[in-house]
Amino acid sequence: MSSPLLALGKQKLSLRVAQTSVRYAGRQETGGVDPRNEIIRRALYPSNIRNRPSPVGTWRPDVGRRLQRAIPSAQAHETIERAWFLHQRHVRRARAAELQRKFESVKNAMETLRQVAPRLYVEANKEEDPRARSPAEFDLLKKLKGPEKKAVEARIRGLFPRELRIPTDTPPKNGWTYEFTPVARPP
Amino acid sequence: MLALRRLPRFTPRLAGVRGNATLEAASQPKADTPPPAPRSSVTAQSSAAKDKQAQDAPEDANATANANADGQQPPNGGKARNPKPQPEGAREWCRPIAKGVEPAYDYALRYILKDAKFIQRELKALQEAIAAEEAKAEGTRDEGALQGMRERAHILTVQGEINLPDVRWKARNGLVDMNRAVHRHLVEQRWREEGDLDLLMERIYQMKVVPDMLPELHPSLDLRIKYAEPPPKSNYLRTRVKRKLKTVEPGIFLAPEQTRRLPEISTTVFHTERRLYTLLMVDLDVPDPENQSFTTYLHWLQPNISLSAFISSPHILNSHTRYVPPHPQRGTPYHRYVLLLLPQASPTKPIEIPVFEDSARVGFNYRAFAEQYGFDAAQGGGAHMWRETWDETVSHIYEHTLKQEEPKYRRMPRPDPYADLKRSKKYL
Repeated sequence: MSSPLLALGKQKLSLRVAQTSVRYAGRQETGGVDPRNEIIRRALYPSNIRNRPSPVGTWRPDVGRRLQRAIPSAQAHETIERAWFLHQRHVRRARAAELQRKFESVKNAMETLRQVAPRLYVEANKEEDPRARSPAEFDLLKKLKGPEKKAVEARIRGLFPRELRIPTDTPPKNGWTYEFTPVARPP
Repeated sequence: MLALRRLPRFTPRLAGVRGNATLEAASQPKADTPPPAPRSSVTAQSSAAKDKQAQDAPEDANATANANADGQQPPNGGKARNPKPQPEGAREWCRPIAKGVEPAYDYALRYILKDAKFIQRELKALQEAIAAEEAKAEGTRDEGALQGMRERAHILTVQGEINLPDVRWKARNGLVDMNRAVHRHLVEQRWREEGDLDLLMERIYQMKVVPDMLPELHPSLDLRIKYAEPPPKSNYLRTRVKRKLKTVEPGIFLAPEQTRRLPEISTTVFHTERRLYTLLMVDLDVPDPENQSFTTYLHWLQPNISLSAFISSPHILNSHTRYVPPHPQRGTPYHRYVLLLLPQASPTKPIEIPVFEDSARVGFNYRAFAEQYGFDAAQGGGAHMWRETWDETVSHIYEHTLKQEEPKYRRMPRPDPYADLKRSKKYL
């Protein structure tokens, strides 16, 4: 750490501040005056207060005070941080333990199934392809057309729903459909 | 709109301080000195608190109570010349901010205390289980499980208290009680992770101590050395100012007159039982003209030093191979001096090493020595090193301490191509 930064950290920040009035500092826009003029005026004729942060942030004298306000005590900060990480650890461990418990439970169940009904066990172990279509579904799709077909094809269990509307630069020509009704999807 | 101007009461001159402060600057100003030994001086944080202007770090709030309190236990066994009386409560932790100032802090405290209680209950149950297992007869015990339970008990002991703010505050400010596992853990963690071990190992590797002298070095204890401070710049003060002892940073250059006397050694060891260590100090760069190379010289050897977590300033005798002050020869490049504190093969049984004669010190082979007596620096120990170059003091050492003629080294003189010509007559 460089010593100027250390000095900044150690500086005594006084709690008493005085107020002085400054020209140009607080002109309020009156009535229907264009705020853009105000912005331009403020850019061209900046206020002559010298202890404000510089416009692009190269000089920020108030950082120490703000840090002090946000984090008044380093020890308290460390305590809070440790408590938070402790909490996160507990949540993580609880989640992992629950997952582990569920896994063990399913594993025991499968083991029991293997002992009791080996054929069913083999069936249960088969991996399901979510994109696979049963013959009945295939026939159904042949019959459907248009939005109904899209509705059936769009949602596949376990995969991203493909009903997302692609964003465009301009809104639709026909506007918003207030009378939208979802397409009936066969179960 | 009004501008805010600070009243000209205590405006710290921050000329040149333009920029964005970071929290690290406020939270942990690095101590100038190496980490404190147990009961050694409070860190730079509280020394900063002695300056009345600093007020933000909460340690200061606690440590302003400590401001005049010197928690220092100097290495001469606590016999400080002027032990300052400590105000009541200076050694106790108190909340850094009042209740209600930061609700997150209050909640965090409650959460931590609850968790600590939970872990301590778990630890108690485990300790009962361990006691029950130990109560069984020798043959029926499950030693593997018992060892596992003991390790878990140690982990729970540390975890149960490590988050408590008062424990952390005490460990950071040198008020450790080495009886408590959590304090030992925190001190070791600080030594290992906050830069001191890293600095030592950086210097050891950069100065090539590790391949040259040792194949592997993995320190397990914090070894700190103090030698006399360098002489004052003015000659008038040289004999009039008493030289204080100054901590040696690993790898720095010292003058031979600083290392004339024995160093003051302080150790922070992290095991509670007493174990035996051997101290040795070796010079790695003694010139060996016969072999056109360099050899080593044993300056000091002291076996059977008993160390434990409760001994911070071991009383190291000079009874075995006596300390010979470093004497880097004239004309040689800088010499590296390494101080090692190695654990002995048996922690309780003293070993017998024959005293090295002065003639046997040169050409000391550390690797053969370690193999012979069973020292393994990869298993633990402490190390330190520094460098020195020739000074007139070395001549003094050769004359009075070593009582030898001082060697002077330099490059071989170049053969003079005009030697014949110079001998023959020029003008007839």
